[in-house]
Amino acid sequence: MTTFGRVWRTGFKNIFRNAWLSSAATAIMVVTILVLTFFAFSTVFVRTQLAQVRSKIDLSLFINDDATQNQIQTLQSKIGTIPNVTSVNFVSKTDALDRLKNSSSEGAKLAQSAQDIGNPLPASFEVKLSNIDNISATNTSIKGLTEASIVTDSSYDNRDDSRKGVVENIIKISNSVSKIGAVLSILFLVISLLIIFNTIRMAIFTRREEVEIMKLVGATKWFIRGPFLVEGALYGILAAIISLAVTIPLTRTISSFLTDKLGAGPTLQYFSSHFLLLSGGMFAVGILIGVISSWLALIRYLKL
Amino acid sequence: MYPNKTVALSGVSLHINPKEFVTIVGSSGAGKSTLIRLLIKEEVPTSGKIIVGSIDYDTIDKANIPHLRRRIGVVFQDFKLLPNLTVYENVAFALEVSGVKSKEIKRAVPKILQLVGLSEKMHSYPSELSGGEKQRTAIARALVRNPKILIADEPTGNLDPKNSWDIIELLLKINRFGTTVLLTTHNKEIVDALKKRVITINRGRIVKDEKVGKYTL
Repeated sequence: MTTFGRVWRTGFKNIFRNAWLSSAATAIMVVTILVLTFFAFSTVFVRTQLAQVRSKIDLSLFINDDATQNQIQTLQSKIGTIPNVTSVNFVSKTDALDRLKNSSSEGAKLAQSAQDIGNPLPASFEVKLSNIDNISATNTSIKGLTEASIVTDSSYDNRDDSRKGVVENIIKISNSVSKIGAVLSILFLVISLLIIFNTIRMAIFTRREEVEIMKLVGATKWFIRGPFLVEGALYGILAAIISLAVTIPLTRTISSFLTDKLGAGPTLQYFSSHFLLLSGGMFAVGILIGVISSWLALIRYLKL
Repeated sequence: MYPNKTVALSGVSLHINPKEFVTIVGSSGAGKSTLIRLLIKEEVPTSGKIIVGSIDYDTIDKANIPHLRRRIGVVFQDFKLLPNLTVYENVAFALEVSGVKSKEIKRAVPKILQLVGLSEKMHSYPSELSGGEKQRTAIARALVRNPKILIADEPTGNLDPKNSWDIIELLLKINRFGTTVLLTTHNKEIVDALKKRVITINRGRIVKDEKVGKYTL
C-alpha cells in the first residue's frame, strides 16, 4: 500500500517536470479523442438519418372503391401477419382528400376540384416494412393473398425507382463514412500512440540515470515502471477531460443548427442519453493509449 | 553467525569471511569492477558459482534480483546520487524502494545520517555538497538497509586525500559494527596504511592474497 501511494505520487510529480512534453502528449491525445468522437457522432447521425428515411418509405396499396368495410378489415389484418410488415394503416377516401387539402395551397385547390367531381381519390393501405430491401417480396406476397382482389394497384408496381436509389445511396454513403471513420480513427490512434511512446521515452531517457540508480538500490520493475504508467494514464485522463470540456459546450452552441439544419436532433438525443458511455469511452481510449505506449517505451530500459 | 561468501572469477576462487575488511587492488581493467558487477548480479558468470551467505546466485531469478541488491550495500566512485533529491531523500529513497513504511523511514534516516556525520546537511542537494559529503551520503544510503556486506567500488577515486581518509575511516567504523566491507581502490597509501587483507587481481586472475597486504603492482 505504501509503495502504491509512492508510485502514484511520483507519477503525478513527473508530469510537471517536463511540462512541454506533457502538453504535447496531452494535446495529441485530445485530437485523437476528438476525432474518434466526431466519427462516433457521424456514424450515429448517418444511421439515424438512414433509419428515418427508410421509415418514410412504405408500400401503398390502392383499394377498389367498391370494396366493403368487411373486405378492407380482413385484408388489413391479413397483411399485418406478413413477416416483413410492421404496421398497416388504412387511409380512407376522405382521409386522402384531407391530406391533399392540407398538403399545400396548390393541393387545396386540387382537392376542391376533386371534391366537386365526387372525390376520385382511392382509399389505400400504407404498409410500413421492417426491412426495406425486401419490399419486392413483400409486395408479391400481399398481392398473392386471396383477399387482395380489392387491391387495384401498388406503389411498388408503379414505382419510381428514384426513392429506392436514394436509399441505396444513403446506405453507400453511410458505409463509406464508417470506413473512412475507422481508417482515420486507427491512424490517429497510431499517431498518438507513437507520440506518447516518444514522450515517455524521452522522459525515461532524461531520467535514465535515475532509473539506473533505482535498479542498483534494488527497486523492483514495478516500482520503476509504475510512475511512468501512472504518468501515461494521467495524460489520458487529462486529455479526456479536455475533450469533454471542448465537446460539451461546442455541441450546446451548435445544437440548434444541428437540429434545425441537419436534423441531427435524434443523434444529439442519443448522445445525451448515452453520455456516460461516451465520456467513459473517451477516458478508456485516453488511459489505454497512455498506458500501452508507456509500457512499450519502458521495455528497453527495464532490463535488470 | 554471518554466512560465508565465495566468489569465483576467471577460474579463480576466493573466499571472504564474515566481518572481514578486504581490499581488492588491481589496475584498470583487471576485473575489479566485473567482480562487483557479478556480486550485484548485473552480470552473470559464464561458468562457476557465486554464493553469498546462503544464497546461491544460480537460484536467483530475474524477479528476485532487486531483493538481492537490497541485501548488499554498494557505494560507487561517482556516488550515483539522485541530483533532484536532498541528502535525506536520497537515503530515504533506498528504503522507499524496499517498501519500508514512512514512519520507519523517518526514524532510520536521521540515525544513519548521524552515523556518517551528515546530520547538518540533511536538507542539502548533492550539488551543494563536497565530494566527501556526497560519498558519505552514498554510504548512508547503502547502510540504511542494514546490509551484511558493503561493497565500496573505488569510493575515494574522486576525492582529495583528506576526504579519502574520512571515507576510509567511516568504512572501518562500519566494519567494526559487524559489516563485511569489500573495498576496491587504486590508492597505494590507503592500502598500505590499512594493514588489512589485500587481494590483488591482474588480468582477471588473483595474483596475490595476503592477510596483511601491501599495494604492489
